[in-house]
Amino acid sequence: MIAAVDQDLICAIATPPGQGGIGVVRLSGPGAKELAETLCAKPMQPRKAVYCEFNHQNERLDDGIALWFPQPHSFTGEEVVEFQGHGGPVVQQRLLTALCAQGARLARPGEFSERAFHNGKLDLAQAEGIADLIASTSVAAARAALNTLKGKFSARVNELIATLTGLRVQLEAAIDFPDEDIEILEQAGVVEKLRALAGQLQQTLATADQGRLLNNGIQVALIGSPNVGKSSLLNALVGEDAAIVTDIPGTTRDLLKIDLLIDGLPIRLVDTAGIRTSDDKVEQQGVARAKAQITEVDLLLLVTTAPDLQLPLVQNLVNEVENHAKEQELLPPKILIVVNKVDLVDRPVQVQPYANVAVSALTGQGLDELRSAIQKQVGFGQDNAEFTARTRHIEALKAAAEQILKAQKGIEQGLAAELVAEELTHAQHHLGSITGELTADDLLGKIFSEFCIGK
Amino acid sequence: MRYPEQFDVLVIGGGHAGTEAAAAAARMGARTLLLTQNIETIGQMSCNPAIGGIGKSHLVAEIDALDGVMARATDQAGIHFRVLNSSKGPAVRAVRAQADRALYKNAVRKILEHQENLSIFQQSVVDLLVEGNRVVGCKTQMDLDFYASSVVLTTGTFLDGKIHIGHEQQPGGRAGDAPSSALAKRLRALPFRVGRLKTGTPPRIDGRSVDFSKLEKQPGDEPRPVMSSMGQRHDHPTQTSCHITYTNEVTHEIIRDNLSRSAMYSGAIEGVGPRYCPSIEDKVVRFAEKTQHQIFIEPEGLTTTELYPNGISTSLPFDVQMAFVRSMRGFEQAHISRPGYAIEYDYFDPRDLTYSLQTKALEGLFFAGQINGTTGYEEAGAQGLLAGINAARKVQGQTFWEPRRDEAYIGVLVDDLINLGTTEPYRMFTSRAEFRLRLRQDNADQRLTPLGVEMGVVGPARRRFYEQKMHELAALKKDFAGNCIMPGSELDQKLSLDLRKETTLLDALRRPEVTVETVAGALGVDESNEHAVTVLRQLEIETKYAGYIKRQDDEIAKIRRHEAMQIPAQLDYLSIDGLSNELRQKLDQQRPASLARAARIPGMTPAALSILLIHAKKTAAL
Repeated sequence: MIAAVDQDLICAIATPPGQGGIGVVRLSGPGAKELAETLCAKPMQPRKAVYCEFNHQNERLDDGIALWFPQPHSFTGEEVVEFQGHGGPVVQQRLLTALCAQGARLARPGEFSERAFHNGKLDLAQAEGIADLIASTSVAAARAALNTLKGKFSARVNELIATLTGLRVQLEAAIDFPDEDIEILEQAGVVEKLRALAGQLQQTLATADQGRLLNNGIQVALIGSPNVGKSSLLNALVGEDAAIVTDIPGTTRDLLKIDLLIDGLPIRLVDTAGIRTSDDKVEQQGVARAKAQITEVDLLLLVTTAPDLQLPLVQNLVNEVENHAKEQELLPPKILIVVNKVDLVDRPVQVQPYANVAVSALTGQGLDELRSAIQKQVGFGQDNAEFTARTRHIEALKAAAEQILKAQKGIEQGLAAELVAEELTHAQHHLGSITGELTADDLLGKIFSEFCIGK
Repeated sequence: MRYPEQFDVLVIGGGHAGTEAAAAAARMGARTLLLTQNIETIGQMSCNPAIGGIGKSHLVAEIDALDGVMARATDQAGIHFRVLNSSKGPAVRAVRAQADRALYKNAVRKILEHQENLSIFQQSVVDLLVEGNRVVGCKTQMDLDFYASSVVLTTGTFLDGKIHIGHEQQPGGRAGDAPSSALAKRLRALPFRVGRLKTGTPPRIDGRSVDFSKLEKQPGDEPRPVMSSMGQRHDHPTQTSCHITYTNEVTHEIIRDNLSRSAMYSGAIEGVGPRYCPSIEDKVVRFAEKTQHQIFIEPEGLTTTELYPNGISTSLPFDVQMAFVRSMRGFEQAHISRPGYAIEYDYFDPRDLTYSLQTKALEGLFFAGQINGTTGYEEAGAQGLLAGINAARKVQGQTFWEPRRDEAYIGVLVDDLINLGTTEPYRMFTSRAEFRLRLRQDNADQRLTPLGVEMGVVGPARRRFYEQKMHELAALKKDFAGNCIMPGSELDQKLSLDLRKETTLLDALRRPEVTVETVAGALGVDESNEHAVTVLRQLEIETKYAGYIKRQDDEIAKIRRHEAMQIPAQLDYLSIDGLSNELRQKLDQQRPASLARAARIPGMTPAALSILLIHAKKTAAL
């Protein structure tokens, strides 16, 4: 699973993320032209724009222009095709998915530039810059990988890896130590364990599906004490009176969900009841539902107000959220502190060390900052690292699932143990690509600690 | 006194590494001298009398493919042969043979004594002759100086060897043999990192005192496999059986009660022992929940009654050894003929070696075998072969042979050792080889013999044998590809294919249910014809594994590209931004020669590799 400078066909979105007039998806590597011709159902002309529909599995994804640059006269120095379609994350992600389904893989951060460098398209002076870019984006991507994926998800991936390693230990021990009384595959329940693993993988894939995220949007909840202006903020962001706003604390009783686009990023904004102790049964219910949101969303907007702003109170709120998540044994969502009613004070707002934005739902002050902060917090930033990371993980999971299935079928059909082991090794490579380590883990060490080997 | 004759290659040590090294160098035409403390112990099996096993017979097959000694000697001396993992696939299938110690030793000695260009001299070596950073020869006990262009050091467990039985310790290289303490002292003064390792042997038992009726008998396999690709069943001496017994709660109790008297548990031993070959003390302590451990009883030979009870190696004092041995079924009256012992010895950190097994510090000096922290005859032999070949190539002014991980288990072994070092005696397992589907015993000749011919290490007889096999394989393949089976034809029925349309026999062979046995039956091939069955099996494996091999080929192509990407030696790893501190340190220490080697460093990530590559290119351009 070595990656640097291979000859895979790679693809990525080349234009800045978000809703734009035109979005470019770039494909580079041997076979780019053939793949483009399949997707567009039209022959490509060197450096000539071809207008076509982008189709995958009889479904129209988009229409636009495909541009083929033959090797070596391209940005990367390889065969390159650019698909210029409509801007927007959903459309572009679907196009990427289609390309990946036909043999391309998602590019790593900086990989296009890296290839350009290796093919002599960039000079040495730029090399350092690329190395820095890779370093920073790969760190960002690695962190993003762990951060954007919900706690539940990354915990589950680790669980999958552990289960798979356990199976491989069993299998490799049986292969390398046939003299020891290590149970053979059937007795050790390898078949059942494999089936369970395949099930877990499918389940993980379903819940982590990128499509869900892009189609349903990123879940963002407004949380805070009553009457801090959560509903006003929602209305200000949506631009219409979606929520009933009064100055009576506790007006919002149930969850109010609104879908909106922020610069192309689909967001499901959830307004919640202000959290307080109340005797009102309906309101109590609302508060409970608000709390439940804490572990269901990608991002929490913790709303407070500038006149009442006290750091200890903010700290309390953050702690409360984190404790709540801990009780559920889940990782807490990301938190953005939104200090509303900033128009009522004339001193600067300080909520360090938390990520924060000062706004006024009333005057509209700071709303643009809030929008970009939301994007930044969920990882929909300029470099797109988190999104790419997420998509790549889904691809890795799918590939792993395929290998597991092969192993499973193999055992049923009496395939040699060494071939089942081979499939599982590949499955582990795919899952391991999420953590990014190249070297295999210490299977033998695990064998020696689990089995009494000795002759 | 300076010995009047100048040699090309000196090999110090007559064990499994030394004999392969000396024979290989001599086969390549280098004037070679094998120096041993004792000619009588050339080819001695110091541990259990078995050759091969999983991962190990793969190494033996590779030695054999390069015309080495081990497989041939095993077919001369093997008194019990088994095929292991027969149902788990051809890549992990292995042969293990019990050898008659005396016959084995004789076979090795006979091969060496008939080897052209090879002389043997009995004398303990006490020093290396060094000029600048080059080794030019060695000095023996009686002040005799031998000069040569290359020196291969294969000292096994003899470097400062120390034998432990209970609290008793004595210097020794093997029970009954003196250690090489003078040489050890001298080598410690050279710029090599030295460590201590430990291994152990069980008490030997006189078969006349054993009640075999109480033991499980394990006969060899029929049809009996051979070890060498050129070997034949009729080479084998009389066959005999192994036996199995078990430890029990009483055995374990005796051991537990006396743990404080074990050399290992009293802290007298600083060396680290192998995890896959623990002493019986270790097993009882670490796997306390197990109520019994299997003991595999190996015959020492046809003409001796001595037995080797594999699985009870120990450093407990003799009275405890007697007590626990006699607690086992069938061993109630057992007489111990030699006590078990643990042995500690020096090894040199293999990270101080290059891929050719030449040391980084001294030009012309090669290390092979246990001195590099490995264990096992097969591992030693494989390294000896490689060191011998490269020692000769150095003399001949050729570039070193550095087998890759995807070519040979020898490549896996060396790559693991020199990149990762080792903290316990290193043993081969198939799971160490990521390309094991290619590194099979059955295709060792296809992987290595042509190369061996090119290097001059393979003699004419093997060359002809190999060419004949390849010729037959090609002919058979052509035959199968041209043999169209019609639906409903006799062959269709015999092979139970249930064809719907015309299919070639070669395509039919791809199916899992079509095996060598069914095809041989349908075509009327005589199954007792070892050679015909071997070629047929080869075709079967190649056909069935083509898809898997293709996938590995793609992986390997990537690695090769990385191998081609050299990293300049002067690259300043410590100043590379974007790499973790840990990774910078590791890279700085190991200074990998290519990107492929850098990729093998634990903790390496694709991003780190990209960064490294960019800096390598940049440094190279400056």
